[in-house]
Amino acid sequence: MDILELARRKAEAAELYEAWTEALGVVFHGGEVEKVGSEEVLGQALRVIVKGRLGFASTAGGAPAALVEAAVGAAEHGDPAPFRFPALHPGPAVESFDPAVPLLSAEDLLTWGEEAVRTIHREFPELVVNVYLARTKTAVTIRNTSGGELREVRTGLSMTVGVERVQEGDIWLVYESQAVRRLSDLNREKLVEKLLAKLRWGAETVPAPSGKPPVLVLPSAVPVLLLPLTHGFSGLSVFLGTSPLKGKLGERAFHKEFHLWDDGLIPFGPRARSFDDEGLPVGRLSLVADGVVRGFYYDLRAAALAGAEPTGNGLKGGPFGDGGFRAPPGPSPRHLVIRPGEGSLAEMIRTMKEGLLVADVIGLGQGNIQSGAFSNNVAVGFAVRDGHVVGRVKNTMIFGNAYEVLRDGLLQVGGEAEWVGGSLLAPPLLVQGVSVVSR
Amino acid sequence: MEELLRSALSEARADYAEIRWEEVFRSRVVFQRDQLIALEATEERGGIVRALVDGAWGIAVFTNPDELPKKIAEATRLARAAAHHVRDRVALAELEPVEDRYQGPMARDIRGVPLEEKRRLAESYNQILLGYHPSIVASTVRYADSLRRAIYANTEGTYIAQEVPDVTLMLAATARKNGDVQQGFESLGFAGGFEKAVGHEERARAAAKRAVDLLSAKPVRGGQYTVLLNPELAGVFIHEAFGHICEADFLLRNKPMRKVMELGRRFGVETLHVVDDGFIPGARGNCPYDDEGVRRTRTYLIREGVLTGLMHSRATARKLGAKPTGNARAVSWEHEPIVRMRNTFIEPGSFTFEEMLDGVEYGIYACGAFGGQTEFEQFTFSAAYGYEIVNGRVGEMVRDVVLTGNVFQTLRNIEMLGRDFELHGGAGGCGKGRQWPLPVTHGAPHVRIRDVIVGGR
Repeated sequence: MDILELARRKAEAAELYEAWTEALGVVFHGGEVEKVGSEEVLGQALRVIVKGRLGFASTAGGAPAALVEAAVGAAEHGDPAPFRFPALHPGPAVESFDPAVPLLSAEDLLTWGEEAVRTIHREFPELVVNVYLARTKTAVTIRNTSGGELREVRTGLSMTVGVERVQEGDIWLVYESQAVRRLSDLNREKLVEKLLAKLRWGAETVPAPSGKPPVLVLPSAVPVLLLPLTHGFSGLSVFLGTSPLKGKLGERAFHKEFHLWDDGLIPFGPRARSFDDEGLPVGRLSLVADGVVRGFYYDLRAAALAGAEPTGNGLKGGPFGDGGFRAPPGPSPRHLVIRPGEGSLAEMIRTMKEGLLVADVIGLGQGNIQSGAFSNNVAVGFAVRDGHVVGRVKNTMIFGNAYEVLRDGLLQVGGEAEWVGGSLLAPPLLVQGVSVVSR
Repeated sequence: MEELLRSALSEARADYAEIRWEEVFRSRVVFQRDQLIALEATEERGGIVRALVDGAWGIAVFTNPDELPKKIAEATRLARAAAHHVRDRVALAELEPVEDRYQGPMARDIRGVPLEEKRRLAESYNQILLGYHPSIVASTVRYADSLRRAIYANTEGTYIAQEVPDVTLMLAATARKNGDVQQGFESLGFAGGFEKAVGHEERARAAAKRAVDLLSAKPVRGGQYTVLLNPELAGVFIHEAFGHICEADFLLRNKPMRKVMELGRRFGVETLHVVDDGFIPGARGNCPYDDEGVRRTRTYLIREGVLTGLMHSRATARKLGAKPTGNARAVSWEHEPIVRMRNTFIEPGSFTFEEMLDGVEYGIYACGAFGGQTEFEQFTFSAAYGYEIVNGRVGEMVRDVVLTGNVFQTLRNIEMLGRDFELHGGAGGCGKGRQWPLPVTHGAPHVRIRDVIVGGR
């Protein structure tokens, strides 16, 4: 029997989320194909309200009755649901499906991987090259007892190329990746070229500038500064009081050149979707304009608790990932966008003259991110002298507070934005106020 | 199900094939401040087929058991497609077929404990956290349990059924004063039943007290110091910084790194011994049989300061001329086994805590772990809290203690190993590739290391 029908008999309201995923991926390790894998998984998640209380359960491959029983069982000991499931109406469609993606064969992905390995080996034959390529197709259906049904098929294509340079007493890992929804957006040549550019920059190892030099944060490292903000702008964190931005709506908490919004309307954006995981239409939400806090993002529950309007930000999983069917929805950005300023990367390097360029860190999210504190090892970083990249830095840490840096330390916002981690569109940021410690 | 697996495998047209079918029970209770954020119980089923054809792997993941024969054919087809592109072929180390069953003990089966009781337990910890002090403004309590029932069969005749329970508890408090926000937490994990989750009231109080104390702790001054790691942090260090590079899949197609990790090479002082153990009663990292059907081992990675072993799957063991060690583990039915750690620890030495402080003019006593990450030789860890060491005595509390460095240098700089020992299973787990969180433990005595970089303002 239909799960929602079954749930309706035992609960006053229910919502069923279903995701049918078909995926194909290849992995290259050390320049060699290691495996090819496929996946066909049906994941289901059920939320119910019983006697006003909220319950959640999920399953893969489980029986409908067991799923309903688990959700109802959870609701019996749950807390009052502060919200009701909304009637589902399709909003404006945001394109997220490319029919060319599911047609990609294992042979296509294998050939692309081999091409990437060859291109890198042509210039750097000694490097260990690892490649990961995958295509996915996910059919998402949301139905609830308030009425309506939303269904959408989304495609995804991702490519990661990582290289290891191993020398006695010195091991260096550099990688580039891209996640897209549309085949024509995957630029394999550019991805490999960006990787090669970093390897060329890193030919020499040089001492890192220390103290508090200007730091040029490349888009790939912008999550160092943005990860604390994904917590801070969550309506739930604001309601719970763990966000430092609580009570700062309408106040200037950032540099006046800093503009940040959450854009759900970017067609074929890496997380593009016409509706969030609670069935609400997505939109565009201003978070910071001219340095002033303009809004927070909410799912149904956080909005109800805080007495705010839901913003279509009820997504499964964390800020930079897809939680899949298992996670209940929570407030999470769709695409965080930092408004670009002016200047190419080359110009920024020239004008900064001296300092540290950070491309990638390890230890993202470690430390007290609620407060905005970050402390990271620079995995891929370069020293800049006289307006030129002179070489790669080793054994170097950066340390600071994201809120302070974005308020008092923002020197320049670059003009060229790039997608990072599948959900952030950011230009390079030139900042000060970051401590650099090096051995 | 057993019959289904065996008959499907008998039809396989690959050089080698294996099936793992899992049924997983899971429940979770999460409180944040006064809000019940999650309360759920879930059962799921899924399977994975792995086929080896001409030295290449093909994999198929699925949730519909009726499709098993189709999935074996699919994995075989994908392996064949990959085989056309492979030069360096995968082969498996020899293994005697085995039939066995294992059931992890639970005094109180997590499936039989009502969700309501789990909620009450989480709520009682939450009240301790929130009620500890007026400056505590938020809390997180996360209780999670799971029972993974996995059956494994391969074309060599191995058949293993295992039931592995896992229970974790995260107790965290957030304190706030004048815009400063600090966290204190205790993170616990066990292989066992519901009984393992009860009775941790003291740990809840300790977490709350730490959050409050950290408000008045001063930020550590950045620099290079002699550092004393407490057993929990030393365990994180050995897991993150050293354990991962002893995973042989990382070395398989990496000749230069294999040279760095040559057996017989000296990595530290003679009193340094590092072990990865597949079974310690009650420990979260237990893995009676790995997900290739290999029985557990106890492997010395370092003995008397010298590299003596690596962790292997059947493929890496064959390639590097070693024996499989039982380290091929998968985090769930959605993933194939890769080389992972189990219970990894530094064996205790001979020094008392006082002896280890002795002679340190100024240093840092670093405790607990907020997090840590490693990229080959580079590592970075955030200690949860720390203290200054001044003239051989533990002094004032400090915060924002982040340690970083090169693992080989740091291992060489280990000066003293304590006579105490603690094996720690946290509430999180180990992540590698796309597989997270895998239950593991790590352990160590107190460890004193010279010349460690401490990040700071």
